[in-house]
Amino acid sequence: MNRGALRGALGVALLLILWEGLARGLALPSYTLPSVSEILLSAWTTRQALLTAAWFTLAEALAGYAIGCVVGIGIALLLSLLPPVRRGVMPVMMAINSVPVAAWSPLLLLWLGVGMASKIAAVALAVGFTVFLSALAGLDRVDRRAADLMRSFGAGPLSILWRLRLPTALPLIAAGMRVSTVRSLIVAIVTEMLGAYGGLGWIIYQAVVQIDFVAVWSAILVASALSLAFFGLVGVIERRVIFWRSS
Amino acid sequence: MTLPPSAATPLLELQGISKTFGSVQAVRDLSLSVEEGEFVTVVGPSGCGKSTLFNMVAGLDEPDPGGILRFKGRGCHAHELLGRVSFMPQRDLLLPWRNVVDNAILANEIEGANRAEARAKALRMLPEFGLTGFEKQYPHQLSGGMRQRVALMRTFLFERDLMLLDEPFGALDALTRTLMQRWLLDVWQRHRRTILFITHDVDEAIFLGDRVLVMSARPGHVKHARRVDLPRPRAAELVTSPEFTALKREILEAIEEESMKSFVASNGAVAA
Repeated sequence: MNRGALRGALGVALLLILWEGLARGLALPSYTLPSVSEILLSAWTTRQALLTAAWFTLAEALAGYAIGCVVGIGIALLLSLLPPVRRGVMPVMMAINSVPVAAWSPLLLLWLGVGMASKIAAVALAVGFTVFLSALAGLDRVDRRAADLMRSFGAGPLSILWRLRLPTALPLIAAGMRVSTVRSLIVAIVTEMLGAYGGLGWIIYQAVVQIDFVAVWSAILVASALSLAFFGLVGVIERRVIFWRSS
Repeated sequence: MTLPPSAATPLLELQGISKTFGSVQAVRDLSLSVEEGEFVTVVGPSGCGKSTLFNMVAGLDEPDPGGILRFKGRGCHAHELLGRVSFMPQRDLLLPWRNVVDNAILANEIEGANRAEARAKALRMLPEFGLTGFEKQYPHQLSGGMRQRVALMRTFLFERDLMLLDEPFGALDALTRTLMQRWLLDVWQRHRRTILFITHDVDEAIFLGDRVLVMSARPGHVKHARRVDLPRPRAAELVTSPEFTALKREILEAIEEESMKSFVASNGAVAA
């Protein structure tokens, strides 16, 4: 575990050194590829604006993430208790899900305005579907013999859902939630680029218009740091909660 | 085929029970009865419908219409038995996210018992089940024999008049199995529950049972019922006694014939 983290850090360091060497050695213009030191320097001098933007984006992503997880798991639980409803609803769900979130974004901006609400909705939509599908798959994975045993103890469908099916589904739900961390930030940033008052996506968009590619890269740097931290945090929580999977 | 008539009403009575799955008849015209406090073992060739019998008595499967199913002298549907017998399937089916005590009280929790009280009771039972000090352990930290004892404890804690044990020791090594058999008899003698016990091991069936029922090849029914008049408490040496051997020969003969039938049936033909 610790060793893996060390190797990962080493890999990143090597990449950065290679990048720095290439950018300097080939004297690449900064609109093609600025050097790492240039990006870091720019990020440091504009840290105030970047941090404000990062909080803005993070708030949208977290709010949308929370809503998406709750709604996604909730609908999955409901549909798994009501198979006839499920058969009717699933085609509609799959049709909505087949449209990329980026395609919904302009509509969401139109409906909910340029503020945070449209970003939160876009993130909730993207996260919600991922978590919903993984939760449904997890709830279907139940061991029939274990369910029969609980029935023989007199358990009803709700009791079996709570004591058996939901815990059985947790590893898959958690995997969906872990993958969704990165998606939530991507969707927030992409939607911001289409129209916003703030956030990393807005900074990227502004910087592109001003042909300031070093600023674009520093915003990307902050965004990927956020993504990694969020992903790592959820991964740690996952291993704590689903302790029985390890060892 | 069935049992000598008895004055008391049997706890469980099946008459002319059949069960068909699609085109396969798993059980045909099965009749048996179990007296209160009796330890009845069921042996038979593999695929003879033993598990089908158990699923019906546990209330999980409804028999085909036409047979009679009586519990405590009252005719009933199989599903009415859900929650009224304590069933232990072949696999321990412990929940990996629950520790030993919380696995043991699963059934009590389902019937709405106070969790703290159920836990306290389970803790008191730990020594009897050889699990002292393991209450906080999770299933993946336990050996096969211990997991099986946790499953048995779960079955015992669900205090019902009838216990159904489906090959509980089938997955254990021979030595652990004989230890567990003696231990089970010990526990049974103290708790005096009625037990219906499935096994494919003839020694086990005779060693444990008051009565051994031999099932026929599929479609299964009770082909032979034999009272075991060996004295209790039964010691390990019993299995080498002449009385035991004579009983074993008789039961083995009955099973052999049925095993042959199911072997031929599953192979289409048998080479002479």
